[in-house]
Amino acid sequence: MVVALSEVPSDERVELVDVPDDECRARLLRLGLLDGSVECRRRIRNGPVVVRRRGTEVALGRSLAREITVERAPRDGAPQ
Amino acid sequence: MRATEGADRGLGSGDAETSVALVGAPNAGKSALFGRLTAEYADVSNYPGTTVETTAAALGSLRLSDTPGVHGISSFSEAERVTRTAVLEADAVVNVVDATQLGRDLFVTLQLTDMGVPTVVALNMMDEAEADGVAIDVDALESALGVPVVPTVAVTGAGVDKLRDRLPEASAPESTPIDSYYDALPDGVDATRAEKTLLVEGDEPTARRVGVPGLATDGGDAPLAAVGEREAVYRERRTRVRSIVDDVERVAASERAPEERLGDLLLRPATGIPIALALLAAVFYVMGVVVAQRVVGYAEGVLFARYYTPAVEGVVAGLLPASGWAAPVEFLLVNDNLGLATVTVRYTLGVLLPLVVAFYLVIGTLEDAGVLPRLAVVTDRGLGRIGLSGRAVVPLIVGMGCVTMAVVSTRMVGSRRERLITTALLGLAIPCSAQIGVISGLLAELGVVWWGGYLAVLLGVLGTAGVALDRTLPGRRDALIEQLPRLRLPRPTNVARKTANRTAAFLGEAAPLFGATAAAVSTLDYVGALDAVVGALRPLTAALGLPASFGRVLVLGLIRRDFAAAGMTDLALSASQTFVGLVVVTLFVPCILTMAMVLRERGARSALLVWVGSWATAFAVGGGVAAVLEVIA
Repeated sequence: MVVALSEVPSDERVELVDVPDDECRARLLRLGLLDGSVECRRRIRNGPVVVRRRGTEVALGRSLAREITVERAPRDGAPQ
Repeated sequence: MRATEGADRGLGSGDAETSVALVGAPNAGKSALFGRLTAEYADVSNYPGTTVETTAAALGSLRLSDTPGVHGISSFSEAERVTRTAVLEADAVVNVVDATQLGRDLFVTLQLTDMGVPTVVALNMMDEAEADGVAIDVDALESALGVPVVPTVAVTGAGVDKLRDRLPEASAPESTPIDSYYDALPDGVDATRAEKTLLVEGDEPTARRVGVPGLATDGGDAPLAAVGEREAVYRERRTRVRSIVDDVERVAASERAPEERLGDLLLRPATGIPIALALLAAVFYVMGVVVAQRVVGYAEGVLFARYYTPAVEGVVAGLLPASGWAAPVEFLLVNDNLGLATVTVRYTLGVLLPLVVAFYLVIGTLEDAGVLPRLAVVTDRGLGRIGLSGRAVVPLIVGMGCVTMAVVSTRMVGSRRERLITTALLGLAIPCSAQIGVISGLLAELGVVWWGGYLAVLLGVLGTAGVALDRTLPGRRDALIEQLPRLRLPRPTNVARKTANRTAAFLGEAAPLFGATAAAVSTLDYVGALDAVVGALRPLTAALGLPASFGRVLVLGLIRRDFAAAGMTDLALSASQTFVGLVVVTLFVPCILTMAMVLRERGARSALLVWVGSWATAFAVGGGVAAVLEVIA
């Protein structure tokens, strides 16, 4: 299922599949946030989204989070 | 051909002074390591991005420089440009890697080795990695990277001697997978391996400097042809990072650390916003009430008013003859507005010094704890409405204590554009605590309705000005990509040392600047230019429905904001006149110290924008309010 990062609830694991802005993509790539899945640690309502990968926590601003498309990992166990 | 390129780099190259740069991610411990390696002390903190310039010191016969923290060698920000230049100029690099963030930090390490920069890796924060249950096979890492790797704990000094010993071994592998990308470059490019690497990564400043035909953009309009190449290079490098990390790192399952739970509380709006508000209230209380009012009040009212000023006035009167040529000199030294020996000294030592110390103590503690970036995250949404990111929250709050210090703290705010908006809002609509004191006194006499009106006008101006600047300034709002450092208990010695260093550096720069400004204003005062200004203001004050004597209040306000507010208490004004006057005085130009800081931090153009903008806004809004009040009444 493909949605914007800004729509992902807290504590879900997602993969960032598309970051439209070249520079932002390069910056996230360097930090390792585009290597496989990241944990969406907290989504602040109408605010930034904090994602985490291997202990690296990065806050992404709301407008950026809206542009980023993510693939939601299927939940373990019962499908919703 | 490539073999000769390496020959002029490295520590063995030697006749001219050899330089070594400390390079690594923000918060990886570069500054702490810098302090351990040399006698000097660089600012150490837990706030990413505190080093904005390079600091250099001698390390034996070498010259060691500390650089701003980066996640890659490129030109995405001011900090990155500074670091890129330092890397290109250095003979060797100590790459500081946070052992708890191996997967993140090895990107820079591999970029450095791709560039052929002789490197030694300091694998720092080994203690925290251990506590996290992270085990790193240092020997395996060393052979995978092909450069020396030394485990260190910079804050305690562990491993630092070994690092110093192994510095001469700094090296880079002969060739790396990056080589295959060089084919994409046009034939006959005259560039070093470092420059070639940056070229295939699409670094525009490098392309411009090397002058690659077809790659460099003349007008700067068309993007560098190599953007696609950059992505491929970055992805390939990340693949190498992942495989190295998989080989050398073992992570034991660990329990959630208590600081992680605290971090959660700070990020959850339901708890984070109250915590943020409490912290900000504490900052305001310390800066605005305890220091700006009590400590400064005592220093000015007792130490200076009773002892220092009369003594200096006595000495000056005794030394100078009573008449003739001495009159202007005496005026310059001891006049009541900005005398060089009296008021200027009082402002610098009695007002500025306590505020600066308090400011750096408070900010240093919050930085050390790693709280500031999290405050930025919770407040990002609200500040986004006025063209700012959450990073501007600290300057705005500090501004209610002292706008001058707030202007200094705008360094924390990301881009130049955002710094300018923050500075403009500070200069325009944030009353400092000195002013708040006098203003609340005057408003209290008017009653609570006027209080509400005053707040509404100020917030309205703040919002409108923010939105207007956001819409009109060139460029676009920066996307917030903020790395959150882990939370730590602040270390008092670290905070104290940092405060002492920063205070000394600040006063060293600010005091002469302020002295020069004071001398210039006193001269204008002596030749009667200030009175001429009061005269010229008459039509404006009349348009606001205020007496001509209000012009004198404004002229005082040019020097210090609370002088203007205090000057109003002497005027006989009606309630609505007082209200209009207070609005004008609040929106009016920042004090002379603040302007000196804006000039230093932002440059002449921004200072002029803030200054002229404040005049215009103060009179436009004041006039509007006066007109509305007339209609109501």
